[in-house]
Amino acid sequence: MLLSTALLALASDVFATTPPVPETIDFNRDVRRLLSNSCFKCHGPDAANNQSELRLDLRELAIKPHVNKAGRTITGIVPGKPEESEVWRRLSSDDPLKVMPPPDALHQVTVRDRAIIKRWIEQGAEYQPHWAYLPPQRVTPPAVKSAARVRNPIDNFILRKLEERGIDPSPEADRATLVRRVSLDLTGLPPTPGELATFIADDQPGAYERLIDRLLSSPHYGERMTVPWLDVVRFSDSVGFHGDQRQNIFPYRDYVIEAFNDNKPYDEFVREQLAGDLLPNPTPEQFVATGFNRLNLMTREGGAQPKEYLAKSAADRVRAVSTTFLGSTVGCAECHDHKYDPFTTRDFYSLAAYFADVKQWGVYSDYQYTPNPDLKGFNNDFPFPPEIDVENAYLQRRQARLEREQAARIDAVVERMLAHQSEQTKVLSWASKNSASLVDTSDGWRRPEAVKPIGDDWTAVELKTDGSVRLMDIEGSKKREKTKTGAVIELEISAGHVAALRMDVMPDPKGNGTVARNDLGSFTVSPALAVRRSGQSDAEPLDLAGGFADRDSWTFTNAYLETSLEGRWRSNPAYAKEQQSIIYQLRSPLELHEGDRLVVTLNTSDLARVRLLTSPLGLRWRAEPISRELVDAVKAADAMGSVQTLSNSQWKRLAAAYFAGTGEADSEAYSDALATLREIAACREGRAFTMVTRAAEPMETRVLARGNWQDETGAIVLPAPPAFLAEATATTDRRATRLDLADWILAPENPLTARTMVNRLWHQFFGTGLSAVVDDLGLQGEYPSHPELLDWLSVQFVESGWDVKALVKLMVTSATYRQSSVGRPELRDVDPNNRLLASHPARRLEAEFVRDNALFAAGLLDAEIGGPSAYPYQPEGYYVSLNFPKRDYEAATDDRQYRRGVYSHWQRTFMHPMLANFDAPSREECTAARTVSNTPQQALTLLNDPTFVEAARALAERAIKESVATDFTTRLNHAFTLVLARPPTDTEATGLESFYATQLATYRDTPADVARLATVGLYQSDTALDPVELAAWTQVARVLLNLNETLVRY
Amino acid sequence: MITPTDLQNFENQQRAWSRRTFLGKSAQAIGTLALGSILNPRLLAGDDPWRGVLASPHFYPKAKRVVHLCMAGGPSHVDLFDPKPLLNRLDGRAFPESFTKGEQLAQLQGTELLARGVKTGFRRCGLSGQMISDLLPNIQTIADDICIVRSMHTEQINHDPAHAFMNAGSINKGRPSMGSWLLYGLGSEAENLPGYVVLVSEGGGGAQPISARQWSAGFLPSKFQGVQFQSRGAPVHYVGNPDGVCQSTQRQVIDEVARLNGLQAERSLDPEIETRVSQYELAFKMQTSVPELADLSQEPQSMLDLYGVKEAGDGSFAANCLLARRLLERGSRFVQLYHRGWDHHSNLDNNIQVASGLVDQASAALVKDLKQRGMLEDTLVIWGGEFGRTPMGQGTGRDHHINAFSVWMAGGGIRPGMTYGSTDDMGYRYLKDGQEMHVHDLHATMLACFGIDHKRLTYRYQGRDFRLTDVHGKVARGILA
Repeated sequence: MLLSTALLALASDVFATTPPVPETIDFNRDVRRLLSNSCFKCHGPDAANNQSELRLDLRELAIKPHVNKAGRTITGIVPGKPEESEVWRRLSSDDPLKVMPPPDALHQVTVRDRAIIKRWIEQGAEYQPHWAYLPPQRVTPPAVKSAARVRNPIDNFILRKLEERGIDPSPEADRATLVRRVSLDLTGLPPTPGELATFIADDQPGAYERLIDRLLSSPHYGERMTVPWLDVVRFSDSVGFHGDQRQNIFPYRDYVIEAFNDNKPYDEFVREQLAGDLLPNPTPEQFVATGFNRLNLMTREGGAQPKEYLAKSAADRVRAVSTTFLGSTVGCAECHDHKYDPFTTRDFYSLAAYFADVKQWGVYSDYQYTPNPDLKGFNNDFPFPPEIDVENAYLQRRQARLEREQAARIDAVVERMLAHQSEQTKVLSWASKNSASLVDTSDGWRRPEAVKPIGDDWTAVELKTDGSVRLMDIEGSKKREKTKTGAVIELEISAGHVAALRMDVMPDPKGNGTVARNDLGSFTVSPALAVRRSGQSDAEPLDLAGGFADRDSWTFTNAYLETSLEGRWRSNPAYAKEQQSIIYQLRSPLELHEGDRLVVTLNTSDLARVRLLTSPLGLRWRAEPISRELVDAVKAADAMGSVQTLSNSQWKRLAAAYFAGTGEADSEAYSDALATLREIAACREGRAFTMVTRAAEPMETRVLARGNWQDETGAIVLPAPPAFLAEATATTDRRATRLDLADWILAPENPLTARTMVNRLWHQFFGTGLSAVVDDLGLQGEYPSHPELLDWLSVQFVESGWDVKALVKLMVTSATYRQSSVGRPELRDVDPNNRLLASHPARRLEAEFVRDNALFAAGLLDAEIGGPSAYPYQPEGYYVSLNFPKRDYEAATDDRQYRRGVYSHWQRTFMHPMLANFDAPSREECTAARTVSNTPQQALTLLNDPTFVEAARALAERAIKESVATDFTTRLNHAFTLVLARPPTDTEATGLESFYATQLATYRDTPADVARLATVGLYQSDTALDPVELAAWTQVARVLLNLNETLVRY
Repeated sequence: MITPTDLQNFENQQRAWSRRTFLGKSAQAIGTLALGSILNPRLLAGDDPWRGVLASPHFYPKAKRVVHLCMAGGPSHVDLFDPKPLLNRLDGRAFPESFTKGEQLAQLQGTELLARGVKTGFRRCGLSGQMISDLLPNIQTIADDICIVRSMHTEQINHDPAHAFMNAGSINKGRPSMGSWLLYGLGSEAENLPGYVVLVSEGGGGAQPISARQWSAGFLPSKFQGVQFQSRGAPVHYVGNPDGVCQSTQRQVIDEVARLNGLQAERSLDPEIETRVSQYELAFKMQTSVPELADLSQEPQSMLDLYGVKEAGDGSFAANCLLARRLLERGSRFVQLYHRGWDHHSNLDNNIQVASGLVDQASAALVKDLKQRGMLEDTLVIWGGEFGRTPMGQGTGRDHHINAFSVWMAGGGIRPGMTYGSTDDMGYRYLKDGQEMHVHDLHATMLACFGIDHKRLTYRYQGRDFRLTDVHGKVARGILA
């Protein structure tokens, strides 16, 4: 026997009391679920799969007499007369051949179900349209007896139901509980001890409202609200299919965060995502929003059929739109008319047709068996176009910060140099030796003479009068040999320093007019540099510390644009006809003497023309003129040869240039500076690529019989909303667009849009939706626990101008929300799932916030908003099964290790284990509600994942250092307050104190363990602290971070 | 029909019962009896982990556990299990167009199709006389224990969706894998070890990417998802104590967490806390049981030699097979071994030899070992890829092929020593002779071995009752013992 029936019997008969059959039957409340669940699969909207003529989903068909196969006239339902109704006859039959549902059907009906149907027929068998397909009604909040308990209209609805059942609500939670709960709910972060104290001490009226206003205006509010949104739109950093390559999309996430923070009206939010590109004069931000239409899975697998994947993407988008905005399961209608809801297959493909204009490819590569001229030259490391290059506030701030740090680093070196006479002499000597380059040029670049350019077996070279070298194919040569050098060019340079080499590449008018000797207009060059000292025959190789091109290269690693090329520079064909430059910084700048030569081996087979320059100035990643002040300082130094003649600022400028150009004075600082230079370049002046929607000529959309993409016989459809939901829309000659779709979704008469969002938000703050199945408001969903409240909130939401913050505020300021969460065992049988909300439902934190909460308490969390996805620690070798390309995972080694969970890199095929263990979805499909599990893997994560161990180390340090006194109790109080926003009870503290004493004794005897513990994570403990004490406190902190209470919003 | 809410109720009740039983409150005794009569009685045992939604099987179960040896990339059926003399005769000549007209091809799209013969010989093996390639000399020796199915076919011609289809019966993401369905239905008998474990090895060319979605629980609760054992580092993520934390400290931390959680439970009356405490206990046990499991040095040298394990813990397919047997012994329900080296678009002659060499001995050893331990009769072994390879050549290799491929099964209620189903003379398409085996049929048959009616193991999600076989699937009764 299958448990399902047992379960139902269990749920209804053993623990919960079976509700009586209502006196008056309400179709939506009592009947629809029964018919839908047990009858509609065969006698419902999917007419093609109905083996009899009986239809029960529409009253006019159900009550219409018809002749059945046996030639007998039957009527499904005769209103008022169950005995004459075929439905009742079949339901009540004892004959296994006649009884309905058939004995082998999955969904049997209970005695009570039968009684309901019978009474419903007796009472006239009235149908009502499905509740969710009727526009929400503005209802007056019901009056309640205990009006004093009402804080806002939400409470009227909740209290009314409780009063009807004779249940008292719970008292308000205490202040500490409340501030922790609502802080975690609205920002995903716990209150700081200061915030906690302020709220507890605020005895003025409106304290709670002030708290809410503060939290709603926190930039972390947007981060918190974004997490569930990213689930529902299936936001991810990787494409999902096969190679699961990385994709550029993080600016979309920043857009969502900003939209919630700015309280962008929900209608605007929706419209921009669906059709921002079609708005008049779209802003970059509106383009970024259209990344929504690009979050479908994509493939680059060899042998994949483009048409097949276009069909998969179309279906993927229909599912996304219907789940995200309509709370509907239109996806079921891909192969057949929906079994339960009136969505037809035609509706499915008509919805898909709205997206037929989205510029896309079935397979994102150019294979010989599926040629794709648009994507010529693409490989597995390439991104997924179309993309745009947009400003990103996080990257702008990051670059500015890095530049400040770089300047400060150089200043510090200069300060130290200032103190040494010998250093000053070196600076002056350097200035004097390089004055020609620095004074005679405007930008510090001089053009040494190219001598003896030598081609290889396949390349002819020609030295031009402007000093450039032209490269030409030798007729008949095989170009694709791997041993090519392309050309070797020797540079004769007068004595002086070289910190950087610049390569100017120019179109060759005598060739094909582009910078490359091929049709694509893209060259590849991997220059190698060496120095041949005067009189020596061998050249000694020089290390390059990155190349910085002035145009975006076409070189990607894992879809990241290479901004500081290690070697290979592949030029972007978009700039095929433009002169472009790259600056190669030397890892160790060098001084050249008379007769020394630089030897440049180009290693290219397709570069057209090149000119080489050198500079004594270093640490530059873009071409910029030398400052007037520096030139003056050099002149002064050169003329006088003495430091006394220089002003202080001139001297500093000169010393800074000397350090940047030589690395002398502090080689460690220099190597840090080189690393920072690359970081700065990686910020790309605060810009980032992101996938967007570009409208193209719409592809033809056909109804695919049973979803089969190879069947081209189905009807061609045009964009249209589901027929049964569409009001008689005015027909126009114009093809409807995504903008029209947005308008239809956001039309006030659309019954689903507001309900879907309201219901999801309710789920977010109360643990369960008012209709529990948040991704299906359709017939198989759940009749809401409080339908009038859902309607009232939905109307309120629309009338407020789709004001999300106002809606959230309404929920969290209700007395319902503010109740205590202490369990109500006496209600366990009456309301086992707390759907009546007689208490606040305790809810475990979502995966991202489990992380954030621990890092925040530890004081490690990076508070920056927005930005590229981050790489927290991950077990080694976890990506070993990824291929095309192979992937390494490099955990961040700087502040980005401590980014919030919302920024964690999301690999669809291999979710970060911590996120996966705490139920974060892979985001291959839209997820409107996460499952909440409680597993040993969660315990292992919190106990052993280096993130949480490191957090415990830092938390322990905070407890020690920030406490006003050094005794155990004071420190424990502080740690408790940081993690749980409350002091420990005496029982808790006593036990922990002896636990601590044990740990202290253990670690005192095991210094090796003390040392090893200190190596978990990047965090460097304060060496002034007693490491044994710290290790013991770390164990106390681990206890705290592992507590159930820490993970739960009570 | 089971919805997430039902499941939650169900688990709450499981917990409530264990609590009541524990506290010795007899007021609910009648309820206990009512429960006991319909549910698996083990559900009532203390803090027992999940024991499945099926109170009793739908019919007599033969299998208790599965080991799925998944040859990722798609082994060539005509080279291994389905000899085709005609194909050899036509080697290098045009492939008859009557077979391929209008058919979906992968990388062979738009190219000239040539028949490609098979280079390695076959031989009749054992008393059953099943035909098996000389590439698999060890599997030849277990011919009488296995059932070769030659009529497999699938719907997906690219690896990613084909793997999804083979594992979850659907290409839509978010569907539970077959291992998750089994755990959901039957639970696991493993104490302190995951009930559903995945191991991965490679070698043989074209390391096929695989995805954790292949062992995902999809919309089922995440505790039903497979746990991948890593070949490097800790076998299970975070199973080792942090550096600088000894076992006794770890124990004390967990005890202190439990104590404080208990105090919190008294205050908040939150039943979830009790579960949390038991999960920490289980986690602590796993910290010992997983390393113990993975420690192949406990096996005698003769056993390492039987499987061909060169070095314990080297992450090879051989080591994984031995690990699989240890997991099955300890009660894991579903063990899945991937070998990623079967995508032989080119250099087939060499690559198939390498891949076969890496899996042949250990695959056969696993069957022999299970047999000698008396475990084969209730352990279902499934060996095969997500699809087959074209009888047409693709340069020096073969392309993906969905119209026919071979798998073999053994134990767990499968008739040994038989070949089931067949393909046409070129090995292009399965024959409709009543022995065809679609992926859905394979799933239905697998569940049947467990005594499960595939139509009645369902879970409600987004308003629909889903099952592993969607709305399809026929049990291949002909291969049931």
